[in-house]
Amino acid sequence: MSDFFSKVVELFSTPEYIDSLLHGFLLTLQVSYFAILIGIALGTLIALVDIAKPSKWMALPKMICRVYTTIVRGTPMALQLFIMFFIIFAIRGFPSIITAIVAFGLNSAAYTAEVIRGGILSVDNGQTEAGMALGLSRVTIFLRIVAPQAIKNIIPAMGNEIITVIKETAIVSMVGMYDLNMAAKDIGSGQNMASYIVPMFTAALFYLATIYLITFIVKRIEKGLRKSDLRAED
Amino acid sequence: MENGTDLVVKGLRKTYGKNKVLRGIDFELKEGERVVVLGPSGSGKSTFLRCLNRLEEPTAGEIYFDGTLVTDRNIRKIRRNMGMVFQHFNLINNLTVMENLTLAPVKLRVMKRDAAEKRAKELLTHIGLLDKASAFPASLSGGQKQRIAIIRAMMLSPEVLLFDEPTSALDPEAIGDVLSLIRELADNGMTIMIVTHEMSFAKEIATRIVFVDKGQIIEEGTPKEFFEHPKTERVKEFLEKVL
Repeated sequence: MSDFFSKVVELFSTPEYIDSLLHGFLLTLQVSYFAILIGIALGTLIALVDIAKPSKWMALPKMICRVYTTIVRGTPMALQLFIMFFIIFAIRGFPSIITAIVAFGLNSAAYTAEVIRGGILSVDNGQTEAGMALGLSRVTIFLRIVAPQAIKNIIPAMGNEIITVIKETAIVSMVGMYDLNMAAKDIGSGQNMASYIVPMFTAALFYLATIYLITFIVKRIEKGLRKSDLRAED
Repeated sequence: MENGTDLVVKGLRKTYGKNKVLRGIDFELKEGERVVVLGPSGSGKSTFLRCLNRLEEPTAGEIYFDGTLVTDRNIRKIRRNMGMVFQHFNLINNLTVMENLTLAPVKLRVMKRDAAEKRAKELLTHIGLLDKASAFPASLSGGQKQRIAIIRAMMLSPEVLLFDEPTSALDPEAIGDVLSLIRELADNGMTIMIVTHEMSFAKEIATRIVFVDKGQIIEEGTPKEFFEHPKTERVKEFLEKVL
């Protein structure tokens, strides 16, 4: 036990170790953040294509989106990461962080698209019909009626997706990137502390704290959006 | 247009796959008329109503509104003049009562926001719900929702109002409130088409009854003719069951 505490003291009193952890943590946050942004942008686009009215112009885009989500959701993330690193971006000197962001962004887009699609389809059709019967345009109906109601269904599921991405980025250590997960392993290795317990538990706390914070923010947003669901204030 | 015909329907058909819901409907609605559409459930009467403003796209047939052929291109303009009230009210859940009333008139540039809000307040006062102006639909009762849905349709001053079973989702007390509001519109000369199961209301309010069965109009006439001297066996059978 005293060994454990001495290791804790060692970890937190050695600037190089703290520095490594923070660097790793920063990389984890960078990859997650940009991957999630790509996921939301591309996922929204895919969802909109998917729910658009079928027509001859939409047939090809719809098929591309369907094939894309099927492939992404049907293959392991780790394999997708390898394909990005060792095939598509196998260019000497290409920044690995960009490769990772693209890999996770493209992966997240497929899941985000499902979340957004489901959120939009869960809005009662009567809401759209009311807008149509009033002579409103499709764009107005979507922006003023459907989207605000869909967001309420999308936010909680989107929170889950964000959490999944943050944790899943830990596999970048498999291609040698120095993220939070890799930092924990490196600090604990024989050349350094020669004990994995403390650095790995510390890394776990970093992940936990981040995800706890995100859960908290998502709950707050959900609460704000539920305003119109409240029955008479009694 | 004196004594202008508001709505002409020719050979209207609607099929879903193999299911023929409407099998050729010819129909006219003239200004000031109040037509009640009766028929057993599944007869196609709601589909008929919903084809008029193209919430359902007709499979075949033509619809003319004030002499203009209704198409996908001009439907938005026509919908402004053809208000609709739904069975399940369909107030916009994320908008307050006031926003529900003013969204379309302001967006469609029929009224400036001030004017729209003024008119909305007048109509809300008229139905005794001015205090609900800033409430969201979730906090209202069914009867309140439906009366607001009716004045929402009136905000655009349409030439025709379509009612798709407006009282079928309401409790008896609320039904009375909603029907008296519809009655008032009728007394003010509104051209109305209603699909309903309220027989006594149909008898009282209609200038003409249309009976739909298996996707066709099989009998029409004044309420007196229809209820007292039905011509077809089918209507006789129907009336025996419902009256």
